[in-house]
Amino acid sequence: MDRFAQSALRQRLLGAGDAASPGMIAGRPLEEWNAAYAKVERYFYALQLRNKLVLGQLVLRVLERAMLRAPDQPNLSATELAVEEMDRLITTWFADILGDNPETRNMLSTRGRLALLLADMPGKWQDQFLAPGPWPEDFVHAMREAYLRAGPEFQLARMAPRPLDLGAMETLVNLTQSPFLNVSLFWSWTLFILILIFIFVRFHRL
Amino acid sequence: MNPDTEPFPAGPPVVELTLTPATPMVRGIRIFSLYSLALLLTGIVSVLFADLLWRTGWSGSRTILLILFVLLFFFAAIGFMHALYGFVLRRIDDVRQPKSIQANEPIDPAANTAIIFPIFNEDVIRVYEGLRITYNSLRSAGQVERFDFFILSDSTDPEKWIEEEKEWQNLMKKTGGMSRIYYRRRVDNEGKKSGNIREFLNAWGRRYRYFIAFDADSVMHGRTIVNLVNLMEANPAIGLIQTVPGIFNAGSLFGRMQQFANRFYAPIFIRGLDYWSEGFANYWGHNAIIRTEAFMKYCALPQLPGRKPFGGYILSHDFVEAALMLRENAQVWLAWQLDGSYEEGPPDMIENAKRDRRWCQGNLQHVMVLGARGMHGISRLHLIQGIFGYLASPLWLAFLLTFYWMWLVTREIGLSQITVHSWMADLDLGASEHAFLVFLLCMGVLLVPRVLAIIDAFFDPVRRRAFGGMAHILVGVLSETAFSTLHAPLQMLWHTRFVFTILRGRTIDWGTQTRTADGTTWTYAIEQQWWQTVIGLASGGVILWLMPNTFVWFLPLFIGMVLAIPLSVLTSRVSWGDAAKEFGLFLTPEETATPPELVALQARLALAEEDAPVRHPPYLVQSVVDPYLNAIHVSMLREAKLNPESAEALARVGASGPDVKWIAEKLLVRGFDALKPGETMSILSDADSMAWMHRQIWLRPEETMAPMWREAIRSYCS
Repeated sequence: MDRFAQSALRQRLLGAGDAASPGMIAGRPLEEWNAAYAKVERYFYALQLRNKLVLGQLVLRVLERAMLRAPDQPNLSATELAVEEMDRLITTWFADILGDNPETRNMLSTRGRLALLLADMPGKWQDQFLAPGPWPEDFVHAMREAYLRAGPEFQLARMAPRPLDLGAMETLVNLTQSPFLNVSLFWSWTLFILILIFIFVRFHRL
Repeated sequence: MNPDTEPFPAGPPVVELTLTPATPMVRGIRIFSLYSLALLLTGIVSVLFADLLWRTGWSGSRTILLILFVLLFFFAAIGFMHALYGFVLRRIDDVRQPKSIQANEPIDPAANTAIIFPIFNEDVIRVYEGLRITYNSLRSAGQVERFDFFILSDSTDPEKWIEEEKEWQNLMKKTGGMSRIYYRRRVDNEGKKSGNIREFLNAWGRRYRYFIAFDADSVMHGRTIVNLVNLMEANPAIGLIQTVPGIFNAGSLFGRMQQFANRFYAPIFIRGLDYWSEGFANYWGHNAIIRTEAFMKYCALPQLPGRKPFGGYILSHDFVEAALMLRENAQVWLAWQLDGSYEEGPPDMIENAKRDRRWCQGNLQHVMVLGARGMHGISRLHLIQGIFGYLASPLWLAFLLTFYWMWLVTREIGLSQITVHSWMADLDLGASEHAFLVFLLCMGVLLVPRVLAIIDAFFDPVRRRAFGGMAHILVGVLSETAFSTLHAPLQMLWHTRFVFTILRGRTIDWGTQTRTADGTTWTYAIEQQWWQTVIGLASGGVILWLMPNTFVWFLPLFIGMVLAIPLSVLTSRVSWGDAAKEFGLFLTPEETATPPELVALQARLALAEEDAPVRHPPYLVQSVVDPYLNAIHVSMLREAKLNPESAEALARVGASGPDVKWIAEKLLVRGFDALKPGETMSILSDADSMAWMHRQIWLRPEETMAPMWREAIRSYCS
């Protein structure tokens, strides 16, 4: 974009408006841009960007890009355009700072977000976020070395249970698992109880 | 003081101790003497009891009563002998010291040690603060670089899972423990805690010469840990050293009484236990250091044959693991000499019962391994005592029921209680005096250990001061004894119920626990304990009907049952616990001179409670919406795939499966409520879907998604 176009756009962004279509910016109502602003700001806020100046500048940068695309994509709302541009801007920046990487888009985004956190972007490097390079060496190093590990390098082994001879208990368990024995036991005891009842009744003449 | 940056002051004193086991002959004599004396005492009192029964005419129920009495008294006598031996040994200061272990002796760089925290749906902040304090304490001891920390999660609650990941990142930030504090969540919790540890060992065990198992609420002093490693280094024949964790951090009255009992009585019992079991001790599952190679070689637990509750995975794995170590001649020690090892106790009666329910099932399952070939006799002794710890309750109940039956029969027959000639008549004792003598002996066996603990403190000024002075000790022991008297019948009822439900393969529905900040609610106590009150009233009525003259003597037996609900609610009160503390009641050494680690922990927990953020979106929602939490979660899932065991388990839960994209779409449009539990776990376990959803949540128009996403996005505002 040439300097003139940028300046015109910025003027419109800053509220100068379009005389031909009042209440509209880049073909979208002001409310739409307001919603787009809020959504982009929320994402940056979720990234723990707390510096208001940086936050404001970045949101405007994203909206500028969205406004440039707006006339060509009338089917998309201002918010949709803005978040797409935000996503594109961030992913491109991750690719730049993390180095040329054949990883998929999703993996790059995840790795980049993790790197921001582990490199403590919110604490130390807010002004560097989405800034064009070159970046401070420490920041680049921290971003590129940032990995989360569930543990050190694996040294795989396999704990194999040793046989435990449970002795008589094992025999007993095996016996009780036999359906034949279970049925036999049940009927033997039933018979035994019936015999006892019979003897009692026979000799007591109830 | 900021414990993350400033070192803790010096820790527990250097302990000079050696771990050389007694010769088999000496050990044999010790075991023989302790158990023989218990048997002798049982014999004498049982004969007196049999004689008492004889005087009122022998019957079948009296035979049963006598058998039950002998069994119950024998195990009480074993406890008594442990206390007596422990007391005497402590008095003659029987600490052997041929080899000294210096606390700050540097650890051999090759002696890498993993400190593991197996967790399962725990209070995340509490676990992590405990880890943080232990980490900082080790750093103060100057040896943290020899240790790696592993949080080994088996959590099944998705909220807990995400919270654990989030707080882990915070923990690393606070401690600077990146690449030293690791978090790994198992996809399934096959084999429960022992399976969790086994999976850790399969992945990383070979990197570490030792590992130290922590419980979720464990805290250990850095120098105690260093001492443990040095002890293992100096004694290659040792497979495991168990410390004696002191209970700390109790707030409720119940918790403080248990804490006091643990710290005040345990030392004499433990000393007695160590006397006969030294080198052949037991493992309690946590606050212990273990030689990794020996453990991996000997302690892989097989599944037991048969159906639950006895078959399947070994639940109380610790006792069995110690037995397996001993079977292979790896020594197991109880390091009672080392301070600086802590754990927390349950805050109220119901929580205590819940813990007992788990232990009860595990201990009863030990019946299966009791006869295992090759197991050391001492291991069988440990197992038997563990089993009897819970079987004693139904036996006690059976004793009482038989006793009531005896009286009922006597009453129904209408015979008078005419006593016949007995040995006691030669001693000029009437039937009542005879009964009183037996009663006194039984009470003696139960209460003398408490008296011995008091005498032990009397002769030990440091200990005396640590418990707040002699007057406070006496009042504390009296109050705790009174409470125990009321609590014991409740324990009996609970344990009996546990034993029977376990044998029938049933579970107990504990309902949803409702607690206020101050303790158990009345509603919950009524729900859980009404049956104890009913039994108490019924048994009181029966006694009054059967034995009106001796009714008062039986009061302690059922008054605890009748008062079960108020007792449970009131002793759960933190305000009552605080009041007791103000009066100097139930003080413990950790309260009179709190170690800096515990001060820091308590301060951190208080801060965490105050600063607990109002969490608008649940963690589950945050795991999708929050750019950082989503990145952590996705990265951990990708890491998990690198471990073949985890990759298999992930596939089993449906991660990367054909349905996962469809589930993700459903989640976006309809929210978590629309998912089945299995689907929630599938989607949370799929890295690509989680990353995809994060983008979609922020890219899609809000009106096309479930309202929960819109609310979550709107919670981020400047």
